[in-house]
Amino acid sequence: MKLRIVTLAAVALSALSLAACGQKEGSADKAGEAGVLNLYTARHYDADQKLYDLFAQKTGIDVKRIEGKPDELIARMKAEGANSPADVFIAADAGALWRAQDAGLFQAADSDRLNQTIPANLRAPDGQWFGFSRRARVVAYDPAKVKPEEIDDYAKLATPRFKGKLCVRSGDNVYNLSLVGALIEAWGPERAQQWVEGVVANLARPPEGGDRDQIRAVAAGVCEVALTNSYYFIRMASGDDAGDRQIAQKLTLGFPSLDGQGSHVNISGGGLAAHAPNRENAVKFLEFLASPEAQAIVTQSNFEFPAVADAAPAEAVAPYAGFKANPMSVARYGVLQAQAQSMISAAGWR
Amino acid sequence: MAIGAAVVALAPLAGVVWAAMQPGMADIAAKDIARYAVTSGVLALGVAATTAVVGSVAAWLTAMHRFPGRDVFAWALALPLAAPAFALAYAYAQLFDVAGPLRMWMRPSLGWDLPIQMRSVPGAIFVLTCAFYPYVFLAMRAAFLNQSVHPLEAARTLGCSAWQAFVQIALPLARPALAAGMALAVMETLADYGAVQFLSVQTLTTGVVRAWSVYGSPASAARFALPLLATAAVLLWLERWGRKGRSFESSHARYRPLQSEALTGWRAVAATGFCLILLTLALILPVGFLLMRSLEITPDWSRLLSAGGRSLIMGGLGAGATVILATLLALGAARLPVTARIASLGYATPGAVMAIGLLAPAAVLWRLSPGATSGIGVGVALLTYAYAARLMAAALEPIEAGFSKVTPAMIGAARSLGRSETGAALAIQLPIARGALLTAALIVFIDVLKELPATLILRPFDFDTLAVLASNYANDERLPQAGWPSLMIIVLALPGVIWLTRKIAASRPGAPR
Repeated sequence: MKLRIVTLAAVALSALSLAACGQKEGSADKAGEAGVLNLYTARHYDADQKLYDLFAQKTGIDVKRIEGKPDELIARMKAEGANSPADVFIAADAGALWRAQDAGLFQAADSDRLNQTIPANLRAPDGQWFGFSRRARVVAYDPAKVKPEEIDDYAKLATPRFKGKLCVRSGDNVYNLSLVGALIEAWGPERAQQWVEGVVANLARPPEGGDRDQIRAVAAGVCEVALTNSYYFIRMASGDDAGDRQIAQKLTLGFPSLDGQGSHVNISGGGLAAHAPNRENAVKFLEFLASPEAQAIVTQSNFEFPAVADAAPAEAVAPYAGFKANPMSVARYGVLQAQAQSMISAAGWR
Repeated sequence: MAIGAAVVALAPLAGVVWAAMQPGMADIAAKDIARYAVTSGVLALGVAATTAVVGSVAAWLTAMHRFPGRDVFAWALALPLAAPAFALAYAYAQLFDVAGPLRMWMRPSLGWDLPIQMRSVPGAIFVLTCAFYPYVFLAMRAAFLNQSVHPLEAARTLGCSAWQAFVQIALPLARPALAAGMALAVMETLADYGAVQFLSVQTLTTGVVRAWSVYGSPASAARFALPLLATAAVLLWLERWGRKGRSFESSHARYRPLQSEALTGWRAVAATGFCLILLTLALILPVGFLLMRSLEITPDWSRLLSAGGRSLIMGGLGAGATVILATLLALGAARLPVTARIASLGYATPGAVMAIGLLAPAAVLWRLSPGATSGIGVGVALLTYAYAARLMAAALEPIEAGFSKVTPAMIGAARSLGRSETGAALAIQLPIARGALLTAALIVFIDVLKELPATLILRPFDFDTLAVLASNYANDERLPQAGWPSLMIIVLALPGVIWLTRKIAASRPGAPR
């Protein structure tokens, strides 16, 4: 019996001391030599650790981060309110960034450097968030079955030529939502709706798995063409897995165009949080992401395209980096996301 | 104190209801909602049926017969409890993927392709059955082991064969345990998110998350959750009804060892074969495959080990807090039984829904204490709270069973000797229920190790658990990397599961301890 009371007391004491620790840590923001940076990131790539390490090395700022899905992080930031310790919010899709902006979670980072190095169509007009890397949503196809001119336009994906021959992931996925958002912007809702219905009619199988599963399905003969983000294909082509490399060699990455203006481009990016306690460190971090070293890491480690105009892409990425990129402003995707979702839902794209 | 504990457990559920009442309805097509509900229903029924059959047969074979390997299977068949359902999903989805190594090899070499589509409702039923049949297995095994021999012997003297005695006597007597085991399996099925989402099966639970994430509407998400809460209430009632059946065990009869029948010939082979195939499918094959794939790459050891440490800490804290709260509830349950029932609703609530419900009280906490948000203490406390709210049911059940061994006469004796009510509790009930408390702590510990959605949302900075690590890797399609944390969870949970199952084997009154 005594043991039980002692155990209860011990648990209570430890809980109290943990809470007390919490208070102390919260007030002592100067943990690193030059302070601390609280990062809420929805990017989930291992490569990012190199970015944080390099930043910590250069500035002495301790990067503390919490990773999660964008909506969970947004919900958490909203609940935290003005007491939120978030300094920077990073997401792997422009739609997520817009949603955070819409919820009032960003503030404008007045940084001339950022405004000058990041092209205008890759950032929010008022400086609330900036894109730091680009990815294109394009197609991987089997050159033995498909000729390049058959998929040089997104509109062709919805034609009967590809009936039962198209593989794509779930319509709920944010990359598809942004693509459809871009189509609504370019073509208007009616034509975009027809396109979505055409795609659903062309599906070889109900959507399952991620982008790489679609690429593998093309290699397995289940379908002839797959919609995918560029970096998944490039990662398979230069990665550790021999099977994936074989698949990537067999297939081709094609860059369809939207109205002749180039392929659909999305960004990974971030912005300054509305109630950031470490504002200066946050702006430093954002500017660091636009620096040549950070851009190099981003392209080398995750095979994305740099956002900064004159940054040199990594070896594996270079062959594809010269593609024509659609100049549409990525800020539009978020605004149209709910409409895109309704369209996708109505067409039965699961 | 019991009321306080109940309030603590109820707050997140109240949060969900409150969130559901907020304005803002997402534009989700009604046919989508109907589709999710139907899929959830089909999944739940499928899992209920298959776990009932598989678990009962396995329990009957190991409890009532002797055959080669039975002593090992008696506890080994419960081992899949140590594996999170999403780990099994990752393994099977990879193994049987149309473009996976197995089928890519089969098509050219054998000229034949497996007609298996793992990423479908039948596939999900298969995976979830593998993950959750141990609940039925353990419940039925306990029922068979605890049954009195008298009815069975009476049936045999009246001319029943062994099979007839099983079907007409043992099975109906064990029916409440079957209901209880099935209810647990179905609750876990409804609450699962990681496995179902990976297998591209769209249930109410994924609908909840979809409403929240894609539409940004916590109100819609909470409304999706309400039918799940209602189903949970029904299931819990079913489970309690199952437990009541225990009480007609004769508590004053002499106990004789249960006669187990020795199997020979083809029967023995069939029994061993069944158990072996079950164990292979549910554990050995998926774990082996994950291991094989994981060994192809070197993991990030520092990240893995720190996640392991965090998982252990949260497991310990979660177990401690939940057991304390559940004990308080159970002690007060005599006078307020309904509080215990309501507090147990959390078990069938999907973690993501629980997190929505908890964001409201968390917000209060965060706003009240500026500067505490970044603290690890508050984050850990919130997470522990989430676990307790979620896993109260899992802890209450064995604790209540343990306390039921204490008769009112014992308490009356303590009171008449001068103890206060609390004193009587501490002096009599807690020591007698010691084993039950440990069982409850272990169950919660294992569940916390496997927990994913609430941890993803509420955890403090730089605080990844093994489940979070596995999910992040899997979502990034880095499945070999996802194998390592999944395997670590299994390794950490195994000792607890083994202890639990061996304890059940020895739980027959009169059996050697």
